[in-house]
Amino acid sequence: MTTDASTTISNSEILKVTGLSAAYGEAKVLFDIDVSVKPGQIVACVGRNGAGKTSLLRSIAGFLNPTAGSVVADARNLVGMKPYDIAKFGVKYVPQDKKVFSDLTVRENLELASYATNDHNWDRVLEFFPKLKQHMDRKAGFMSGGERQMLMIGRATLGSPKVLLIDEPTEGLAPGIVTHLRNVFKELAKMTALLIVEQNLPLVCAIADRVYAIKDGRVVAEVSDKDAITFDACEQYL
Amino acid sequence: MIDTQLLISGVIFGLSLGSIYFLLAIGLSLCFGLMRIISLDQLLYYSFGAYMAYTVGLATGSFWFGVAAGTVVAGLISFIVERLIFRRIYERDPTFSMITSFGLLIGGIGVIKFFWGVVPRPVEVPTVIQVDVFGTAVPVYRLIVIGFAIVVYVGIWLFLHRTIVGKAIRAAIENVEHVEGLGINVSRLFTITFVIAGALSGLAGGLHAPLIMVDPMMGLETMAFVFMIVIIGGLGSIKGTLISALIVGQVVSVGSIIYAPMAQMAPFVMMLLVLLVRPTGLYGSPLYKR
Repeated sequence: MTTDASTTISNSEILKVTGLSAAYGEAKVLFDIDVSVKPGQIVACVGRNGAGKTSLLRSIAGFLNPTAGSVVADARNLVGMKPYDIAKFGVKYVPQDKKVFSDLTVRENLELASYATNDHNWDRVLEFFPKLKQHMDRKAGFMSGGERQMLMIGRATLGSPKVLLIDEPTEGLAPGIVTHLRNVFKELAKMTALLIVEQNLPLVCAIADRVYAIKDGRVVAEVSDKDAITFDACEQYL
Repeated sequence: MIDTQLLISGVIFGLSLGSIYFLLAIGLSLCFGLMRIISLDQLLYYSFGAYMAYTVGLATGSFWFGVAAGTVVAGLISFIVERLIFRRIYERDPTFSMITSFGLLIGGIGVIKFFWGVVPRPVEVPTVIQVDVFGTAVPVYRLIVIGFAIVVYVGIWLFLHRTIVGKAIRAAIENVEHVEGLGINVSRLFTITFVIAGALSGLAGGLHAPLIMVDPMMGLETMAFVFMIVIIGGLGSIKGTLISALIVGQVVSVGSIIYAPMAQMAPFVMMLLVLLVRPTGLYGSPLYKR
């Protein structure tokens, strides 16, 4: 299952997933997945509920142990590493549940991310999400869904991650916040690579440089030409 | 009509008993809140704390040195147990940890019997001074025990709310996976929490020793009350554990003045009533299976 990272990764790829398979106990959920992300790219995974998109992100982040294949980031094989080591290495996972630490204030939520990454400069986070400034001493549990998502993404950007794995970031959010997040993702891509699981096809078409369609735990299509990433091209996989 | 002096005496007795229960239950509550384990071995550290207070106190002539030794030894044992045993079973169902820790408790009682025998041992009260509280003579030692519980509560509150490790523990009580996702070594948080829990259980045993006869079964005898306190207060809640421990202490103490058989029965009735109204306990939040 493990491979020599330095020989398999191309210099132009910050994340390369090769032949990845994974299972929850006896139930296999991913089959021989190949995905790659280049620095500064926004790559989207689309597919129906239960297709295996979240399992893919969780496997990369170390929360689901692959049964086969390799996950190489910045010339290092992540398979077998603990989730916190993967996060420390710079591959951060933002889950879709929008569960911030509700008993902690916004400031404390950010403090934890700073503690983990030793990055105490919040300027960029607050530049992306100025709304967080107003709620610094408010318990995160009292924030709206959109604000929670901002906090989760903001936390993940501390420490200058190499890759951000973001799971369904716009699910259930108001159109205005979706627009805001779209602009943030474009800005974020200037400093990190993004692998986003998303069913909001207009957003995918607006920001993605490459799209993988996932069905039944397999990559069934890949669109790497930005001009070919259209609503119609993606919709057939939802 | 209850005699006022008897009532005041009962309330102070109840507060000191509740303080001991709090020190013991806080570890159990934190362990479940963070690691989702039922750590019955805390009752073993409580017994070790008491026996250390007895042995070291006798050897050095200082009860307080014995209490300190009991706290440190309990912390050390819990560190070893966490590293060697619990680390391997965190991922399993809580029932597994309950059975494992019960085995540790029973095995530990055997060790205590081997070294100290089965005969209950008396521990001398460090001070016999009494003070007047509303016309009632109250032993100073009981007030000292209450003082310890207050200091520990404030200390734990400050640790959890003012230090970054404490904040990480609070966050992990909510969601371990998200804390790991930030890049924080959760396993280290588990060890810190377990050692704090063990040390506080040892402290509880040491402080309780002069108020009871120290015997090998003292941990087992306290188990039902400690469980009850954790459940009434709400798993993982420090505030809930304190309030619940103080309530149970009063119910046992004052209840025995009103009607003696009530002292053992009333806390269970109270637990049933609380669970009927609030199934998560007084300050517990809904728990999700990890």
